Amino acid sequence: MKKNSRSFVAVTAAIGLVMLGVNYAPVANAAGTLTVSIGASVPLTGSLAKEGLLTKEGYQFCQTKVNAVSLFTIGGKSIKLDITYQDDTSKPDLAAQNLSKFNDKGMKLILSSYGSANVNAQAAVVELNKQTMVDSGGADDNIFNKGYTRTFNVMSPASEYASSMVKAINDLARPKPVKFAFLSADDGFSKTVTAGGIKTAKALGFTTMDPQYFPNATSDVSAALNKIKADKPDVIIGSVHFVEGVALIKQSKELGVQPQSFAETVAPPILEFASTLGPLAENVLGSSQWTSTTKGRDKYFGTAANYATEFAAAFGHEATYHNAEATAACLAMVMSIEKAKSIDADKVQAALKSLNTMSFFGTIHFDSTGQNSSKPMSVIQIQKGKIITVWPRISAQAKMIWPYAK
Amino acid sequence: MDTFLQVTAYGLLQGGLLALVAVGFSLVWGIMNIVNLSHGAFVILGAYIAWEMQSWFGLDPFLGMFVSAAVLFCIGYVIQRYLINLIVNGPVFITLLLTFGINMIFIQSMNLIFTADFRSIQTSYGSNSLKIGAIHIPVVRLLAFLLAILISFALVAFVKRTRTGLSIMATGMDRGAARLMGIRARHVYAITFAISAALAGMAGTMIATIETFDPAKAGKFTLMAFVVAVLGGLGNLYGALVGGLLIGLVESWAGQYLSGTWVNGIAFLVLIIVLIFRPNGLVGKAFYAARVEL
Repeated sequence: MKKNSRSFVAVTAAIGLVMLGVNYAPVANAAGTLTVSIGASVPLTGSLAKEGLLTKEGYQFCQTKVNAVSLFTIGGKSIKLDITYQDDTSKPDLAAQNLSKFNDKGMKLILSSYGSANVNAQAAVVELNKQTMVDSGGADDNIFNKGYTRTFNVMSPASEYASSMVKAINDLARPKPVKFAFLSADDGFSKTVTAGGIKTAKALGFTTMDPQYFPNATSDVSAALNKIKADKPDVIIGSVHFVEGVALIKQSKELGVQPQSFAETVAPPILEFASTLGPLAENVLGSSQWTSTTKGRDKYFGTAANYATEFAAAFGHEATYHNAEATAACLAMVMSIEKAKSIDADKVQAALKSLNTMSFFGTIHFDSTGQNSSKPMSVIQIQKGKIITVWPRISAQAKMIWPYAK
Repeated sequence: MDTFLQVTAYGLLQGGLLALVAVGFSLVWGIMNIVNLSHGAFVILGAYIAWEMQSWFGLDPFLGMFVSAAVLFCIGYVIQRYLINLIVNGPVFITLLLTFGINMIFIQSMNLIFTADFRSIQTSYGSNSLKIGAIHIPVVRLLAFLLAILISFALVAFVKRTRTGLSIMATGMDRGAARLMGIRARHVYAITFAISAALAGMAGTMIATIETFDPAKAGKFTLMAFVVAVLGGLGNLYGALVGGLLIGLVESWAGQYLSGTWVNGIAFLVLIIVLIFRPNGLVGKAFYAARVEL
C-alpha cells in the first residue's frame, strides 16, 4: 500500500512536471490551422474587476470573430486565436508575474491588463522577456516615455482625456465659460490627464485654478470641493475613476457647489454612471476612447455601429469603450500577424511599428513611443440617462446641452 | 470661518459613518479578542441586501437596513456558532486566518452573484442638504451620524441592562469564570458576533445610500474599522464612536488645510501619536489587552 502511494506520488509529480513544461508556442495541427497562443493577464477580482471583465469580454469577442471569419493564412494554414487568461487581482506585481509565467510556457504575444499601474509593471517585463504586447488598458503617457519598444497602446494617450473635453467646450459651449477647476485623483494616470487638460485650457485662453488632488479610489472628495467652492469655477473637470467620479457629483450637490458644467474622465461612459446618479448625472460631460459613432471600419468588425450591434447581441449589454479598446488591441495584434505573415514576436513587433490602418475603433497607428497618438477622443454627454456623443462634430449624435445648473 | 465650520461639520458626519462601520468590529474584538477580517465583507453584503430590497420591493434604505441587519444577524450567528467557535481558544493568528478565509469566500461569492458592477441606492433625498447659514448639512450623512450615536447608546444600554448583555460582558472579562457561573459561552459568543454582523449590515445600508459599493470595497471597510477600533480603544462601547469622529475630523481638516493626498497619511500619523501616549486607545481599557482566557 505504501509502495503504491509512493508510485502514485511519483507518477503525479512526473505528470505535473510535464504539464509545467508544456510549451504553448504556436502549434500547427493536422487540420491545417495554426493556433496562436496569446497571454492575457486581466484583473478579474479586486478593485478593477469591473473594467477587467469588460476587457476580457473585448478580447473574447475578438477571438470569436477572428476565428469565425478566418480571413488570412500563414503557410497555407488558417489562424486560430487561443487567448489564455490569468487573473492578476488588480495588482501590478501579479500582472507582471503572470507575463513571466506566460513566457515560461513559450507565449510571446501578450494582450495587456487594465489600468495604467498594471500595464506599467507589465511593460517592463515584456521588454525583459522579449515578448510583444498590445495595450488596451494603460493610457498613462509615462508608460511610453521610458524607451520601451515592445508595448503598443491602441488608445489615445492619457493627456488627451481632459484635453478633449476642454477642446469640446471651447468648440461648442456658448456662452463660453471662463474659469476651469481641475480636481484629480493622485495616481499617475489621473495626474497626467490633469496636466494635459490644464495645458490645453491655458493654450485656449481659459483661466485655470490650481489643481486639487485627492487619494485615488476615495469616495470622499469634499475637501477638494470645499477648496474651490469660494472661487466659483464655471467648469469642474474631474480626472477621476468611477468611484471618485460619482462622489464628485454627489458631494457637489451636498455642498452646494454649482458650476455651469461638470466634465469627467472614465466615469461617465461607464453604463452604471447614469443609473447610479439618476438625475444628477444629466448633462455631465465625459471623454471616451470610443463610441458607436466613431468613424472608421475594418474587415473583421465593420464600423463602430456594426461592432456595437454585434457585441450587444453576443454579451447582452451595450458595448462600452473598455470593451472596444480591448477588441481593438486584439485586432491590432491580428492585423500585425497578417502583415508580418508570422507569429514570431519580433516580426509581429516590427509589423506593429509600421501598422497604419483604420478600424471600428478609429485610427490605429503607433508613434515612435508606441502610442496611438493620432487617434482623437470623443466627448459624450449624459442626456436623458443615455450616453450621447456630442464631439467631435462629425460624430455627434446630438447637440451639447449648455449651460446647465443643478 | 464658514469654510472651517463646513469642513468640521462634514468631518463629524463622515466620522459618524466610520463609527457606524467600526462599532460591530470593535465589539467582537473587545469581547472575544477576534480581529474579524470579514467585517468589511459583511458591510458590503448588508449594502447588497438593502439594494436588493429597494430594487425588488422599493423599500427605503432606512427600512431596508433592518432587513440587512436581520439577515446578517443570522449569518453571523451561524458563522460564529458552527465555525469560529471551533477555534476560538486557538492563537489569534488562527482566528485571523479563518476570518480572512471567510472574507475571501464572501467577496468571491458576491462577485459571482452580484458581479463587480458598481452600485448605489438611489433615493429622492440622497443628495439633499439642510442649509444652516452658509453651511450645508447632507441629510443622509446626518441620519447616518445620528444612527451611529443611537446605536452606541443602545449598545451600552443593552450590555448594561439586559441579562444577555451582562452575559456578553462577563464572557468578555473572563470566559472561564463566566462558564462556571453557568453562562453558555458558545451561545453568547455567537450572539455577540451576530450583533456585530447585524450592525455591519446597517452600516452597509448607509454606505450604499451615500456612496457606491462593489465587492472589492470590503477590504477598505475592514481597514477603516480596524483603525477606528484601535484609535478609540477596546473595552469601551463608545470607543468606535470616539475613534470614528476623530478620524473623520482629522481627515477633513487635513484635506482642507494640507494637500488632499496627505489625508490618509495624516490619519495614520494621528493614530500613531495617540497610541504612543495612550496605548489602549482614546477611551479603551487596559484590561482588555491582558484578560484571562481559558
